[in-house]
Amino acid sequence: MNKIDRLVWAEDITVISYGVRIGIRVNRAGLSEQLLPLLPPDWKPAAGGAVDRRYSIIAGREGGANARCYSLIYADSKQIARTSELVQALDAFESDLQLYVAEMSPRRVFVHAGVVGLNGKAILIPGRSFSGKTTLTAELVKAGAIYYSDEYAVLDKQGRVHHYARPLAIRENGQLAKPTKYQVEALGGRRGMKPLPVGLVIVSHYQQGAQWRPRRLSPGQGALALLANTVSARREPETMLATLQKVVLNTPVLKGKRGDAGQVVDFILNRLSG
Amino acid sequence: MKNRHETTKPVAKTEGLVTQELADELLVYDERKHKAHCLNETAWKIWEECTGEQSVAEISQRTSKKLKASVDETMVWVALDELSKNGLLQERVTVDALSRRAMMRRLGIGAAIAIPVVTSIIAPKAITAATCRPSGQSCTTGAQCCSGICSGTTCL
Repeated sequence: MNKIDRLVWAEDITVISYGVRIGIRVNRAGLSEQLLPLLPPDWKPAAGGAVDRRYSIIAGREGGANARCYSLIYADSKQIARTSELVQALDAFESDLQLYVAEMSPRRVFVHAGVVGLNGKAILIPGRSFSGKTTLTAELVKAGAIYYSDEYAVLDKQGRVHHYARPLAIRENGQLAKPTKYQVEALGGRRGMKPLPVGLVIVSHYQQGAQWRPRRLSPGQGALALLANTVSARREPETMLATLQKVVLNTPVLKGKRGDAGQVVDFILNRLSG
Repeated sequence: MKNRHETTKPVAKTEGLVTQELADELLVYDERKHKAHCLNETAWKIWEECTGEQSVAEISQRTSKKLKASVDETMVWVALDELSKNGLLQERVTVDALSRRAMMRRLGIGAAIAIPVVTSIIAPKAITAATCRPSGQSCTTGAQCCSGICSGTTCL
């Protein structure tokens, strides 16, 4: 850490996101402005001082082939990126920061899930990468649901969901393709801002040709399905269990394989309409 | 290891466990193994009685009272087997496969309450619970990859 601390920094900002204080210092004037869209939603500037994690971003010189052309990013003293492409380095910064905030947030439990709002209730679609949750989230938004997130369900201690509205990352050319990012407005959708109680949890996995015939899980099994996608499960099990309890006690958790997302969308709209 | 025996007095593990009640189920998180368990009501109430002071017969009687239904010793042995396999008892209690099959057949006939069940998962690490990139996509750090391995430029 000492070596980095000896460098001269052009800009040094502190932000707070979901209760986590993040310091970001950069070696190039104007670079911190480029970082703002990469911060987790709902960030706020904060006064300097102690931080939970400090990112140090050393943008390399453009052109040439020596070491100074490499962009380096450190999370505290750990190097998380070393690449000649600044864009790639900033990608690593964004991923690391999002995950860190999701894991360390003192007042929220982050579940890897798509979230939409419908008739005043939130629908959670937990799942790992490639389970089809973003596709289902996007289809629900196109059908009129309000967009909350395609990445995290951010749960408070009352079991309500807060928004985490990033652009939707949709894989359009198969699972292995890099996702294309869409603002929700481009899909004809709207963003939700108000925290919502959870009305339904859909645990599904895409399988070509599958028919959507879900079974209802017990609250305990539903809690396990959410826990399997909870970022801070290992770090804060007591908080996590208490929060998940609030969600599953009075909320149906349905599980099944699905083919075309349309089947599930129709099912959900019928279930939660009126 | 103890086999089925009249003097068995099972003891529930308590250290390093976080529990959360959910109506008629119990969630148990093992902080050392990072495993989460869901005990259905039958398994839960039997586990509660594993204080080291109750024989299987006594656990059967006490649980029957709690649940207001017959919980015979066979049911208790099945529960102990489940609990033990999932690390929720201080000592292993084993029921051999043949006996277990016979027990399950007996329980299946006219059981008034649910067969004891313990469902378990390994809690994910933070990185496992986040969005990742498949093999072949660009990366700068292993944390970005589903495999956890970045060649320096590409997820393996």
